[in-house]
Amino acid sequence: MQWSLSKPKPAEPEKGGFDEAIRRLLVMARLEDLVRWGRKNSMWPFHFGLSCCFVEMATSLTSKFDVARFGAEVIRGTPREADVIVIAGTPFIKMAPIVKRLYEQMMEPRWVISMGACANSGGMYDIYSVVQGVDKILPVDVYVPGCPPSPWAFLEALTLLQKAVGNERRPLSWMVGPQGVEKVPMAAMRDVKRPDRIRATSLRSPDEV
Amino acid sequence: MSDAPAVVTELEGRFGADAFTAQETRSDFPTLWTSRERLPAVLKFLKTEVDRPFGTLYDLTAIDERFRKQRDGQPDSDFTVLYHLLSYGRNEDLCLKVGLADGDASLPTATGLWPAANWYEREVWDMFGVRFDGHPALRRILMPLTWEGHPLRKEHPARATEMGPYQLPDDRQDREQEALRFRPEDWGMKRSHEGTDFMFLNVGPQHPGTHGVIRIILQLDGEEIVDCLPEIGFHHRGAEKMGERQSWHSFIPYTDRIDYLGGVMNNLAYVLSVEQLGGIDVPDRAQVIRVMMSEFFRIASHLVWYGTFAQDVGSLSTVFYTFNDRERIFDIVQAVCGGRMHPSWFRIGGVAHDLPKGWQGMVRDFVDYLPDRLLEYDKIVMQNRLFKARTQGIGAYTVEEAIDWGVTGPGLRACGFDWDFRKKRPYSGYDQFEFDVPIAQQGDCYDRAVVRIEEMRQSLRIIDQCLKNMPPGHYKSDHPLTTPPRKERTMHDIETLINHFLSVSWGPVIPPGESFVGIEATKGNNGYRLVSDGGTIPYRVRIRTPSFAHMQMIPLMSRGTMVPDLLAILGSIDFVLADIDR
Repeated sequence: MQWSLSKPKPAEPEKGGFDEAIRRLLVMARLEDLVRWGRKNSMWPFHFGLSCCFVEMATSLTSKFDVARFGAEVIRGTPREADVIVIAGTPFIKMAPIVKRLYEQMMEPRWVISMGACANSGGMYDIYSVVQGVDKILPVDVYVPGCPPSPWAFLEALTLLQKAVGNERRPLSWMVGPQGVEKVPMAAMRDVKRPDRIRATSLRSPDEV
Repeated sequence: MSDAPAVVTELEGRFGADAFTAQETRSDFPTLWTSRERLPAVLKFLKTEVDRPFGTLYDLTAIDERFRKQRDGQPDSDFTVLYHLLSYGRNEDLCLKVGLADGDASLPTATGLWPAANWYEREVWDMFGVRFDGHPALRRILMPLTWEGHPLRKEHPARATEMGPYQLPDDRQDREQEALRFRPEDWGMKRSHEGTDFMFLNVGPQHPGTHGVIRIILQLDGEEIVDCLPEIGFHHRGAEKMGERQSWHSFIPYTDRIDYLGGVMNNLAYVLSVEQLGGIDVPDRAQVIRVMMSEFFRIASHLVWYGTFAQDVGSLSTVFYTFNDRERIFDIVQAVCGGRMHPSWFRIGGVAHDLPKGWQGMVRDFVDYLPDRLLEYDKIVMQNRLFKARTQGIGAYTVEEAIDWGVTGPGLRACGFDWDFRKKRPYSGYDQFEFDVPIAQQGDCYDRAVVRIEEMRQSLRIIDQCLKNMPPGHYKSDHPLTTPPRKERTMHDIETLINHFLSVSWGPVIPPGESFVGIEATKGNNGYRLVSDGGTIPYRVRIRTPSFAHMQMIPLMSRGTMVPDLLAILGSIDFVLADIDR
């Protein structure tokens, strides 16, 4: 969507006449684009955490990382008001029915970020009490690797999700247009970043600070 | 043992020398076997009759002995239940063991002597299937009520991938949800009393104020808490079972994730216990590096607690300050260890690397920086009238209650009891440092905060001494069981090369035996009990965590308070879910 903002200026004498006035006062866009723009830039996360990863997720809320820069600081205490649930931590078998219930209580459109190795695949915990990846019970949109992922990694996942949300097409209502969600496929960051990564020839020595 | 502590003589004097079988372990306290019949009298004697009694049931757990080969001199047993008792008056521990036969695994309950036995016995029932006769509510505690089998029995599958793919169709979802339904009658709670109907309020397992996945059911008369019932196990990650298939070395990363705010502090308790088992001495430099990094993590953990506790009672801005300070610690931790929350950086016999060049500057900057910030937070939080009103006189307990319930750490010191394991039983060279043990008197939420904040200042003192007196030398022991072993000599003789190769590929072979080391961790006393059968993996790993004991006290602390006070109490005890459920 094309748009721009300019600083408010003191009122100038009318130059371009009616057309110019309209251009300055109004944003012209398709409704669908506006809705997508709104969704993308105000993703409200659910206040939900399972284990260690949640501490890093909470760290991303604080000043050094400041998730508010991406419009995602409005943490909701109830799933009914949240847009995105971050599965931050280990999906325990005892917790799985509860996690699924919470997800079901979220309103569409809703998204899921799987944060950390446990939520992605069980990670280090191939153990009787852990579900081997939260995608066994929920559809996941973005997987964040790490144990736990740093706040930077979480913010990257959030921006990737925002980009995907900004590009996906959803019907404006069940009465309007074709039904069903059209998602733009997301490339694995491993593939996207690989060329840059293999170009690195010197790594920082652990012997220096 | 040649110089047996007085308690052994006292026990033998009272019950006869043939009532007990002593077991040699690597730990520095006696381990005595007794019989199921004699156990209640022995426990009662130790708790109530003996001079300077064993007031704390420090740990109660079991060992599945059926596949253990190296049990020289120990009585026959399929399942051994062990009672780890602590006497503050004597500054001594005592471990009592009872052997049980498979098929007849039951014991009389100890809940009449120590209220803390309640959850420990439920845990042993849940994990091993050992029954405790007379227990008020012997139900599963960590696993879901719908679970079949007892996970820490050797025949129970360890891996999720052995048990088939996990599926959660709607009917199972409903069944599991139904199993979570709370019925007051199951717990002996009344629905009404003298014409008042109680309201039952379910807090958790998903609730912003509980700091994690725990469920607390409140029995309310208006807004007053009549009684409450914490339900745990939602965070059970099977760390103890995991220990039974990881090598001694590769278990280290799992320890980081027990008290996940404590980072390398967890490694310390574990490696000290392995080193006790293997008889490994650690060079001074490694010890001081360990102390320094552990104290950094104590501050980091306390900073998280400080911010979130203040937030729990309504001071929303503090968390932004304290987390920023924590980031400064993480800058140092990253420079030294390479990781943030879970560096897994200590090794059996030392640490992973030497300190990087230029570490002194970073540490110096932090030691200079934090004190002024702490003064500022005193003004924002501790001197704030609202904060005082929300925390003073709330959730108080006495020293006697704390000892009875197994409270350790700041929660114990906040009720006027001067007890810090770093001072009383110095480990890793803590006796070489100058620091004070902060105590407070009231034992309420505010005083627990006072103790922790002063502890941060004392940790800074310790770090400052590490900075000024970092000894030269190697960061790793030259003991052959050090893992990974020192590299320098491997290219000079074939034996060292073979040892290095085996130690890195298989992991070290730790001699058979049992050890226990408990340390003053961020939240209280964290201890690792290790049983080796002479192999490359532990036979049994028992993790004694402070938060488990503290969480069990919630009903005692919150009865008669209001609902908002519960959140102040939860915030003030500083627990971490993985530290409860493991």
